[in-house]
Amino acid sequence: MEHEERYYLMMMDALDGELADGDRAELESHLRACPDCTREWRTLLAVETLFRQTPMLMPAVDFAERTLARLPNRRARRVVMGATYGVLLLSGIVPLLLVILLLARYAPILTQPALLAGVWATVSGIGRAAATVVGALFTGASHLVIEQPVLIGWFIILAGLVFLWGGVFQRLLMQPTGVGSRN
Amino acid sequence: MNREEIGTLNDEQVWLEEARRGDKNAFGRLIEAYQGPVYNLAYRMLNNSGEAEEAAQEAFIRAYTRLDSYDPTHKFSTWLLSITSNYCIDQIRKRRAVMLSIDEPLPPHPALHSDNSKGPEAEFMTREREQLVQGLLGELAEEYRQAVVLRYWYDMSYEEIADVQQTTVSAVKSRLFRARRLMADAGLARGMVPAGEAAVAAM
Repeated sequence: MEHEERYYLMMMDALDGELADGDRAELESHLRACPDCTREWRTLLAVETLFRQTPMLMPAVDFAERTLARLPNRRARRVVMGATYGVLLLSGIVPLLLVILLLARYAPILTQPALLAGVWATVSGIGRAAATVVGALFTGASHLVIEQPVLIGWFIILAGLVFLWGGVFQRLLMQPTGVGSRN
Repeated sequence: MNREEIGTLNDEQVWLEEARRGDKNAFGRLIEAYQGPVYNLAYRMLNNSGEAEEAAQEAFIRAYTRLDSYDPTHKFSTWLLSITSNYCIDQIRKRRAVMLSIDEPLPPHPALHSDNSKGPEAEFMTREREQLVQGLLGELAEEYRQAVVLRYWYDMSYEEIADVQQTTVSAVKSRLFRARRLMADAGLARGMVPAGEAAVAAM
């Protein structure tokens, strides 16, 4: 009920010690008149008391010692990480510098019109050759579909079997082996 | 803040600085200082002493390897507990993925098996209370459980809990509101006795 929700909110504030004086008087008056809310308040208070009185639990006496033994070596880790970052950085910077140097060194030769025309002719020749090969493959495949339907049927069955067994193996590999490690 | 607390905080800053430079022993001092809170949080979240210890160790290892990302303007304890509780939530989700439930009868904390310093009656009461507390926590979704544990055992403000949970203060309030009501209902169902007449006047 709507009025209960309002009083529940007041009870929460009371548990947190944040209930305003005006609300406190209103809640007290309501609790005297409403048995359901009184029961709820008493139960909330019992739970509150139970939790407030339950002490912290401590780990085994040698916990700190065992945890310390498991700590990784931060210094070594930092050196390894630094070296990795350095290598990665150099692997990007060094080739870039080499390209810039080569471009600067051979810029007069590279910008000659005859060379540029030759490069363009080579690139377009490779493109034409690739287009011919792809076209031939498509033509061959279409001939195969028309002339050898049985072979195509076998390919489809083979692909289906690979897909099916792939799924089965994946399920087998994903099987959980345990809850987790314990000391 | 008293002089002792200021001294501890100063020590903490020194240990953190030394640990950042790779001094394991300095971090060992931090482990000694925070092993209780970290382990308790892990146990309250996971309800299993073995998993709690593993989670607490993992939290310290993660904190040590990520020390460079720690922002000194925040409390170290909040940052450490945040790592711990997030790791525990991941573990709970993994556990759920292998169809294990928090409601399974798990072994209680070793400290609860027997305590010679208490009489058998006090020991029984302690175990009963622990079982009830863990049972009630087990009724909650992991984000609710996290909010409740941080609120009751660590006295964190709504703002601090929101910081740990990376959410808003109003979301934390809403989670605690629902969690308390869920636990009250679950408590009644488990035969918990409501507080006495004086409770009305105890506000």
